Amino acid sequence: MRDINSGEKLVEKISGFLKDFDYEIVAIENRSELTRFAESYIHQNVAETNLKLVIKIIDKDKIGMVTMNSIDDHTLSQNIQKAIEITKMSPKLDYGYRLVPPQRYTLKCKYSQKTAQFTPLKRAQLISQLMEKVHQRKYDTAGAFTTEENTLLVANSEGVFAFDKGTKVEFNCVITRNNSTAHCSFISAAIDDLDFERCTDELLLTASQNKNQIEIEPGVYTVILSPEAVSEILNYACYAAFNGKMIMEGQSFISNNRGKKLFPETINILDDPFEKLTMPLPCDFVGWPREKVYLVKDGIIVDGVYDHNTALKYNKKCTANTLPPEHTSSGALPFNVVMKEGDKTIEEMISSTKKGVYISRLHYVNILNPMSIQLTGMTRNGTFMIKDGEMTKAVKNMRFNTSVVDMLKAVDMISKEKKAKEGYIGPTVAPYLRTNNFTFSSNTSF
Amino acid sequence: MKKVLKNILDWLELKVNYADLRFVQTEEENIEAENGILSFYNISTNRGVGIRVLVNGAWGFAASNNLSRTSLLETANKALEIAQASALVKKGEVKLAPQKKHLATYITPIIKDPFRVSPSEKIDLLVKVTKAMLKDKVKKSNGSLEFIKTYKIFISTEGSEIEQTIIKSGGGIIASAIGVEDFQTRSYPSGLGGDYATCGYELIEEMKLTENAERISEEANQLLTAPPLPAGKTDIVLGGSQLALQVHESCGHPIELDRVLGKEISYAGGSFLTLDKLGHFIFGSPEVTIVADATVPRGLGTFGYDDEGVPASKTYLINKGKLEGYLMSREDAVTLGLPSNGAARAENWNRIPLVRMTNVNLLPGKLELDELIGDIKEGLYFDTNKSWSIDDKRLNFQFGTEVAREIKNGKLGRIYKNAIYQGITPKFWKSCDGISDKKYWKVWGIPDCGKGQPSQSMHVGHGTSPARFRKVKVGASQ
Repeated sequence: MRDINSGEKLVEKISGFLKDFDYEIVAIENRSELTRFAESYIHQNVAETNLKLVIKIIDKDKIGMVTMNSIDDHTLSQNIQKAIEITKMSPKLDYGYRLVPPQRYTLKCKYSQKTAQFTPLKRAQLISQLMEKVHQRKYDTAGAFTTEENTLLVANSEGVFAFDKGTKVEFNCVITRNNSTAHCSFISAAIDDLDFERCTDELLLTASQNKNQIEIEPGVYTVILSPEAVSEILNYACYAAFNGKMIMEGQSFISNNRGKKLFPETINILDDPFEKLTMPLPCDFVGWPREKVYLVKDGIIVDGVYDHNTALKYNKKCTANTLPPEHTSSGALPFNVVMKEGDKTIEEMISSTKKGVYISRLHYVNILNPMSIQLTGMTRNGTFMIKDGEMTKAVKNMRFNTSVVDMLKAVDMISKEKKAKEGYIGPTVAPYLRTNNFTFSSNTSF
Repeated sequence: MKKVLKNILDWLELKVNYADLRFVQTEEENIEAENGILSFYNISTNRGVGIRVLVNGAWGFAASNNLSRTSLLETANKALEIAQASALVKKGEVKLAPQKKHLATYITPIIKDPFRVSPSEKIDLLVKVTKAMLKDKVKKSNGSLEFIKTYKIFISTEGSEIEQTIIKSGGGIIASAIGVEDFQTRSYPSGLGGDYATCGYELIEEMKLTENAERISEEANQLLTAPPLPAGKTDIVLGGSQLALQVHESCGHPIELDRVLGKEISYAGGSFLTLDKLGHFIFGSPEVTIVADATVPRGLGTFGYDDEGVPASKTYLINKGKLEGYLMSREDAVTLGLPSNGAARAENWNRIPLVRMTNVNLLPGKLELDELIGDIKEGLYFDTNKSWSIDDKRLNFQFGTEVAREIKNGKLGRIYKNAIYQGITPKFWKSCDGISDKKYWKVWGIPDCGKGQPSQSMHVGHGTSPARFRKVKVGASQ
C-alpha cells in the first residue's frame, strides 16, 4: 500500500470477492527498524516489512473474520471463503450490528519523510556519539532506537474509506555504574524532535545523583511523580477503569461514580488526539472520526470511552475508540491519553515540598484491584528523598500498592511542563504531579 | 520454499561469517464466547522469512512478508546493510558457540488434529459452558479456545536444514460474579486465559470444561461475599498454576543469560543471578530443583530445535537449591565457554531469536498433598493467578490470586478474596520445605511471556506440583 491508490485498489479487489455480503477492512502495513545496544555494542539490529489485513464479513447479525499478511489473489480468495463459512455457521449476536456510515476525516497522522528514510547507519552514528560521552564518565549504556513508517487503511462496504501514513521514533536508554543508574525515553513522529545532547546530559545528571541509595520505611508519602511515571499510571488506570464495556458490565470503578466530583478541579484527564505532543489517527478501527473525549473534567468523573460494538449493544454513542479487530472482545481504550497541565514548574514543586519522594520511573506496574483502581509496581532508575525543598539522598527501590483514586484526590500541584510516553495506541501525555497520598508497601535491596 | 531459501543462502554465503534463514508459516484459530453468545471467531494465516547475518563480527537482521525471490534478495541486502551499521558500534567480534549441523524434521505428536474438529463443535462447547456459568451473581462468563499450527524451515551457512511442525492447543473459562462495588472472578483451568500445551484437541477434551463450569461459577459467587485476606505472616501452599507463574517470574526470567549480561537492562531489567554466583549461590532450599526442559511431552515450550538450530535439551538450572546453569543462546553461551542449551527462540519470522524460557520446571517432591497441607497449623492455600509484579532484578515480587483458602490444623477451611503475597526471591525459595509428588505434577502453559524490543510474546511451559513455603507476608488488595 504505497499510496492511496493502492489502498483503493485493495478495497476494490476485496469487494469483488464479497458481492453478497457487507464487510469491514482494516489493513496496517509497517516498515520498522530498531537498533538495540548494551555492553558497549549493538547486539540487535533489525528491520521488518509486514502487513496485517483483517476482513470482517457481516451477514445481518452474524460476523466472521479472517486475518492474513499476504494480499495475493489466491490468499485473499481462500481466506475470504473461510470468512464466509465462519459467518454462515456463527450464531447471531445479541444486538443488531450496523456498519459505520461514510465519514469525513480532518485529523491526519503525523508524518516525517526524514524519519521514514532514517538509515541503520545514522542510528548507529547517534548511538556511538552517546556511548562515547557516557563512557567518558565510566557508565555503561543500554537502550533501543526505533524508526518506523506505518500505513493504515480502514474501509467498509457502506463507503467508509480512511487511508493515512504516519511515522514514529522511539528512543530509550539506561546508563549504569554499580548501583548508580538513570533512564531517559523519547517518543515522537519526527526524528528532528529527538535531542540526543539533552538526553545524554539528563542521563548523566540523574545518574550522578542516584548513588549511595538509602532505605526508607514503607508507608504513605508525599511524592512527586515524573511525567513518565504519571503516564504509566494513567495507562493502567485507563485500562482498568475507562473501558466502556467494563463500565456497562459493572466491572469498573466508573460504573458507580459517573458525575461525581472526586478529585481537585485541576484534574483533567482526556482522550485528546489534538494534543500536540501525541500522535493521532484519523479514525478508530471501524472508521469513526477521532474526537476529544473528557474522562475526568474539572475533577468530575465524566465517563469512559466506547467502541462500536459496545455502543451498539448498550445504545451508547461510540466515542471513536474501537480497537483493532483482534481486540474486539476487549471493549475500548483511550487512544491518546492526556492529563492537562497545571501552572507550576518542577522546581517550584520540589522547593515547596517539606518531606517527600521524587519518582523518575516505574517498573512492572499491574492492577491489584480494578474497582478501586489499586495498582502495584516498583520504582526504578532514580528515586530520591526530598527534604526541606531539596532533593537530597537517593532511595533504594520501593514497591507501591496504591489506589489511583486516592492518589488523584490528594494531588495539590501539577506542572506546566508535559512529556509524551508510549501508550496503548498513541503516546500518553502527562505533566509532573505532586500527591500527598502514595503508599509504598515494601522495599528491595538496590 | 526451501529451494528459494537455499538460493538466497548460497548468494549470502561468501558475504558473511554466518547466516541463517527462517521461513515460518502459521495458521491460527481463535474462538471466544461471552454469556452464551459467540463473541469472536478469527482464522489467521501469517508467513514470512527472517534473514540473520553476521558480517565482520556484527549482526544484521531483516524480515519480509513478501516471499518472491526478488524481495528476499532485497531483504538479504538489507540484513547486510544493517550488519555494516552494527559494525560501527562493536567491542569485538560476535562469536557463536559451536553447533553441529542438523538435517532433521520434528512434528508435535498429537492425537486429535484441532483443525479437523468442526468449528460448530468448538462454538457449541463455548456457548454451552458460558451459559452454564451464568448463575446468581455471575453476570459475565467467558470462554476461549485457541489452536496454532506453525510450520518452520531453518537453514544456515553451517549446513543445517531443519523442518518443524508445531501444534498448540489452549483454552479456558472465566466466571465473574458482579456485586454493587465489587466483582470477583474464578478461572479454570488456570488464570490469565487458561491452559495451553503442544498437543491436539485432546487437551480441550481432558479439561472437561462443561463439568467444571458450574463449580467455578459457585466459587465466584462465594468469593463475592468472602472477607478480604487479613494481613500477616504465615505458612502458605501455592497451587500448581500459581506456582507456575512464581517459577516463571522469580526463576525463569532472572536465569536468562542475556538479562544477566545486561542486554535487557534498559527495558525488562537485569538479574540478581549474576555470573559470579554460578555454581555456588544458594537460590532455594534443598527441596528446590528447577530444570529447563524443551523435551518434556506436551510442554508449551517443547520443540525439536530452537530458532538457532540447536536441539531441544534438558538443563539443570537450580539443583537442590544451588544455582547451576542459565538459559542460553549460542552467542551468550560463549561468555561461559559452554555450548548453547537451545533456549534461543523467536516469536515469528519477523523477530530474531532471543534467550527465552522453554519449559522451566520445578521438579516434584515426595509429599502427598494431604501431608503438605497437613503439616500446617495455621496457613493459607493460594490458587489461580490474578496479579503479578516483580522488580527489575527479580528480587521483590508480589502476586495476587483469585482465591486464598484458610488452612487450620492441616485442613482446608474458609475462603478469602483479594489475596496477595509478597517476598524476596531467594529468601522465599529458601523457605520452601515441601513439594508434592509427581502425581500432582503438571506442565502449565503460559502463552504470553513478553520480552525484548521489538516485543516478542513467547509460549513457555512450567511443570509444577503444589509446594509449601514458611512465614510469608500476606494480605489483601484494597
